[in-house]
Amino acid sequence: MATRLQFENNCDIGVFSKLTNGYCMVAIGGSESFYSVFESELGGVIPVVKTSIAGTRIVGRLCAGNKNGLLLPHTTTDQELQHLRNSLPDQVVVQRIEEKLSALGNCIACNDHVALTHTDLDRETEEIIVDVLGVEVFRQTIAGNILVGSFCALSNRGGLVHPHTSIEDLDELSTLLQVPLVAGTVNRGSEVIAAGMIVNDRTSFCGSDTTATELSVIESVFKLRDSQPSVIVDEMRKSLIDSYV
Amino acid sequence: MWEQQFSKFDGGAASRTILPQKTIQNFFHETLIFAHQREPSQSVPPSRNRRSSTSPQLFSVFEMPRKPRRKQRPKSWPVTFSPFARALARMASVSKPNRRSKSIESSEKPTRSSTSNGSSKHTLEERPEGSESSDGEFDGVVQADFAFFDPKPNDFHGVKTLLQTYLDVEEWDLSGFADLILEQTTVGTVVKVEDDEDEGVFALATALNLWRYREQRCIMKLKEFLLLKASQEKGVGDQLRLLLGERAHNVGLLVSQRVVNLPPQLLPHLYDSLFNEVSWATEDEPTEDLRNSFQFKHYIILSKIYKHKNAEQQKRKRSDDREEEIVYVKPEDEIFHELSSWSFCFPLRTQQPAPHELKNYRSMGLIMTVEADKIPTFRQQLTSLINEG
Repeated sequence: MATRLQFENNCDIGVFSKLTNGYCMVAIGGSESFYSVFESELGGVIPVVKTSIAGTRIVGRLCAGNKNGLLLPHTTTDQELQHLRNSLPDQVVVQRIEEKLSALGNCIACNDHVALTHTDLDRETEEIIVDVLGVEVFRQTIAGNILVGSFCALSNRGGLVHPHTSIEDLDELSTLLQVPLVAGTVNRGSEVIAAGMIVNDRTSFCGSDTTATELSVIESVFKLRDSQPSVIVDEMRKSLIDSYV
Repeated sequence: MWEQQFSKFDGGAASRTILPQKTIQNFFHETLIFAHQREPSQSVPPSRNRRSSTSPQLFSVFEMPRKPRRKQRPKSWPVTFSPFARALARMASVSKPNRRSKSIESSEKPTRSSTSNGSSKHTLEERPEGSESSDGEFDGVVQADFAFFDPKPNDFHGVKTLLQTYLDVEEWDLSGFADLILEQTTVGTVVKVEDDEDEGVFALATALNLWRYREQRCIMKLKEFLLLKASQEKGVGDQLRLLLGERAHNVGLLVSQRVVNLPPQLLPHLYDSLFNEVSWATEDEPTEDLRNSFQFKHYIILSKIYKHKNAEQQKRKRSDDREEEIVYVKPEDEIFHELSSWSFCFPLRTQQPAPHELKNYRSMGLIMTVEADKIPTFRQQLTSLINEG
């Protein structure tokens, strides 16, 4: 199920939060209601950590991670690094990396098995991603945009990409990532998917401007609905299929 | 998205993305005027669709002399924040007021009988010299054509961004409020750049009748917010309650938001178009209720100012008082403030880092109310303020 919420009247919740299968990070500031929505959905299953990165609230866009590890930009302070190391589960490797492209969340899109990265990322960073996150790395663009982390939201079960992604690109990316992909929007037509929503294998959160149509696409591609989508098709098969050739 | 708005004005590099570079600018300019200017003798149908949102027609009210200025070098280069603002400041100092007023007289005056269907187009030329553009062909002359449009549902994101801090940090139905503004197409103006694929919204002006929309969640929350802020001030609380309650039939919320460095030359036209629309709506609306809903007697304005931190500024003995008590973010607020029936300030919870010049100031919210019959005075004073500034 996908939940709608906002951060201080801002529907770009993917900027102020980060969700993986192992943990969730939320920005400080903003009202308690933002934090409490996460607590009520995820509480007990995975830790919800309040933090800042480099003294800012844009935690979702500055870091990249999955259940195996978390990568932080070089601008992260020592206290923040220590706080994260303490708060996150022990199996999560927290690493601060020296990369000139410091908005790692905008440059790297990853799930637990594979990552798409900005084409200009350092070789060293790519190696660290392979080590820390335990993923296979592909340098790609999405609909001609190099900020792959911004224009796609990825989980182990599916992915949502920029609405102008061509069919060929979708096929290619889907083959690389080995998950079904859909080109769509979030927050009432916004193309910046990763800013508007966060997702893991069990749940997802979207900005409150997200329309019902967008929400149903998200629930379908990330397989968040309680019932299997194929059940509906099987039941309706008789009325859908007119005749067999 | 807010960053995106700012970056559009941040120097030559970003201005490349929004402003088409017209190398044959004179030609283009003249043909544009020729193609779109309406003849005064043309008869206009009685039902005025002020502007069709799909194909705005244009008339050039504001012509800047072009050829001579290509060779001119400005004498003084005012120090302002961005190359764009610098260019505009230069242009303001160089432009000749006489020629400008002549061109206004010769072109269409926005009177009721001859106003075309369409938006007003205001052509401003800038010369961002020393811009950071790496484009070799960039000859330093960039044209920004601002056009006024009716609000359209497409403008949702731009309008919402402009209204982000309207009620400080309150969580309220901001999307609903933006939708409300966009639905009211008869009164309301959105300023965009002509032929901009991004359709970025640079400014917004509208007037909402507080009685007509009293049931809307966003308006109810807004009224609560205003009353809460007024409760800390003696005296004005009751007046505000009256205006928001019994007298709401004739009270309009004047919403005017823009990007920080929008050229001030647009402001008189923006407000003219808004107040003209209000008076036309009192005649053109289909039902009597709607017609009456635009007979505003009072306008409420919610705005932001910078107030000096030390209240003892008044005791300064020096005559050259460099530091003023209040710095108005929007120039027209000063005039509204003077003409207001009453007003008060309240502290804002969001404290943005102030630019160096404003380090002694604190940003505060300002709520004031202006009577509708003071509007003509306001329009005059605004025109003279912008022309002299």
